[in-house]
Amino acid sequence: MKELQELAAKLLTDGAVQVVIGYEEGPRGVRPAFITDPAQAGRLVFDARCVQNLATYLNPRRKHIVQLGKSAVVVKGCDARAIAGLIRERQIARESVVVIAVRCGGVLQRPAENAALNSETISVRCAGCDVREPKLYDYLLGELPPEPPVNAARSEQIAKLEKMTPAERRNFWNEEFSRCIRCYACREACPMCFCVQCMADKAEPQWIDPSPTLESNRAWQMMRVLHQAGRCVDCLECERACPENISLGLFSRYIADAVEKRFEYKACDDPAVAPPLGVFSTEDGEEFIR
Amino acid sequence: MTQRFLSHADLGALVAELVAAHTRVIAPVRAKDDARQLDYLPIRALADAALGVALPRRSLKEFFLPPTEVLLSYRQTKEGVEIKEVPTQAQPQVILCASPCDAAALEVVDKVMNWEYRDELWFGRREATTIVSLLCSIMDSSCFCSAIGLGPDSSRGSDVLLTPVEGGYRAQVITPKGEALLKDYGSAELSAAAEAGAEAAQLAARARVANNAPAIPAEFSAWLAENFDHPIWKTMALRCNGCGACAGVCPTCHCFDIVDEHESSEQGVRRRNWDSCQMAKFTLHASGHNPRQSQSERFRQRIQHKFSVYPRRFDEILCTGCGRCSRICPGGMNLPEILGELMALAKSEPEKSEGSGQ
Repeated sequence: MKELQELAAKLLTDGAVQVVIGYEEGPRGVRPAFITDPAQAGRLVFDARCVQNLATYLNPRRKHIVQLGKSAVVVKGCDARAIAGLIRERQIARESVVVIAVRCGGVLQRPAENAALNSETISVRCAGCDVREPKLYDYLLGELPPEPPVNAARSEQIAKLEKMTPAERRNFWNEEFSRCIRCYACREACPMCFCVQCMADKAEPQWIDPSPTLESNRAWQMMRVLHQAGRCVDCLECERACPENISLGLFSRYIADAVEKRFEYKACDDPAVAPPLGVFSTEDGEEFIR
Repeated sequence: MTQRFLSHADLGALVAELVAAHTRVIAPVRAKDDARQLDYLPIRALADAALGVALPRRSLKEFFLPPTEVLLSYRQTKEGVEIKEVPTQAQPQVILCASPCDAAALEVVDKVMNWEYRDELWFGRREATTIVSLLCSIMDSSCFCSAIGLGPDSSRGSDVLLTPVEGGYRAQVITPKGEALLKDYGSAELSAAAEAGAEAAQLAARARVANNAPAIPAEFSAWLAENFDHPIWKTMALRCNGCGACAGVCPTCHCFDIVDEHESSEQGVRRRNWDSCQMAKFTLHASGHNPRQSQSERFRQRIQHKFSVYPRRFDEILCTGCGRCSRICPGGMNLPEILGELMALAKSEPEKSEGSGQ
């Protein structure tokens, strides 16, 4: 922690960055902090409650952050995947951000929780994590904590979904999407949703009816998840923001697994790895594109 | 106002009779997707309700202003366009054990719904609904109803207010609607012990929320209006990621969008859907210009509308202190904390700010 606070103070004092985006103690658990004054660097914390993916604040449509100047951002390995995604998709330049990565031993599901990490309290996204020691960084802090416990809730749910008949699966997702109120909190919280104009906001032509009916909700959620195929970094910010508690993370993971199977690609924290749906290859499995 | 004593059995019998008469009864129940959370949902019997556990995730708003509703349907015929409006009369419903803040919110929103235009769909449902509130004993650190001038024992917006006492409830009958609902239930006799118990419960509830935030002074709305360009707005909402989840769960956010949806080239429906000022599209002009360019400006709008525009127009704060926005916010924005900062600033810089402009 001290290492993190000292580094943040130094980056600000040296003028290397104008803001350090990290975590601080808030009224309801840990929350994002925007440190612009080196004297305030002592507010920074890092522990298992640091659930939020702060890379979301680097998204260029967040103009209120851009105006602060160059940022340094505190990330876990999973969050670094989002930074790599933004670089890969030419949204930010590598040199425009200072990446302070912290070796991670898993996080809780909600930043306001204060429980010990166990197989029930740990986030489902930590299961099978291969980026506990990130590769994308300017500074890498902390010791590597021991292997975290595994929350198998999501993999069990995926196995259950796969055993369902198409009709059962349709019913399951209908039940989830019927609750959607089309507030678009999922989109706004997502680090990878950076379109200047979302297709859902387009009125001419109106691709998807804006009213929250089951039919149009399904269209919206399918469109979103397909636009995220091979791009989603599995940070679960969409699910955490959803006021209706829809299993958005499960949906995205389901598609991510399909992409992995078909394209042998997993969202990673190396910006040089080409996106699976953005490359041309003579080895492509589909005849029409060769 | 009259008072009655209702035993638990009396309340159960009331629910049973209403349900038998096909009146929809809505109460807090355990959420299907998360047993730690509550939702306001229709119940079949009092035993379905979960009382005194937690504030339901969403307010009562959706029972009066649904997330989507059809206003009219239209059809092109040889003679012209045929328009069918939806009926404004609603089915009777009873909301049981509402949180006092949620009941109060409806009265606050009534003002705008009856401003330059009377919203007949809203008032159709308001008139068909009887609200029985329950003294709140479930507040947490994000609650600040007392700062708004309400409280866990506020009867505002309620037809009946229940206070738990030994063996049942003290029922304070606030309106003729409440009188009609309870006339055959319980007894008009309230023992001195029950009376004392109810008063003690009220005092205890008030004490639990009183220190969460300082009361909002009357001059705060004018200060906000004069400090629209204060530099604080630029840095106040950095962690806000503009998701608008706050507006969805807010009992007083009432903005909506109206859209026509074609079912075919001949016919379609006109709907209204919830909308939120936290979205960039909310103020996007047809020209492409957006007067609220960044999230700082959109968040300022949220505070200004609730604590300055609405109070100046309707003499009401557009907030009940329920704390839902702070609980849902994925960015950790916290309204009592933000109001505290702004009120401190209003005290230290009472004059109009020079501002930095936008």
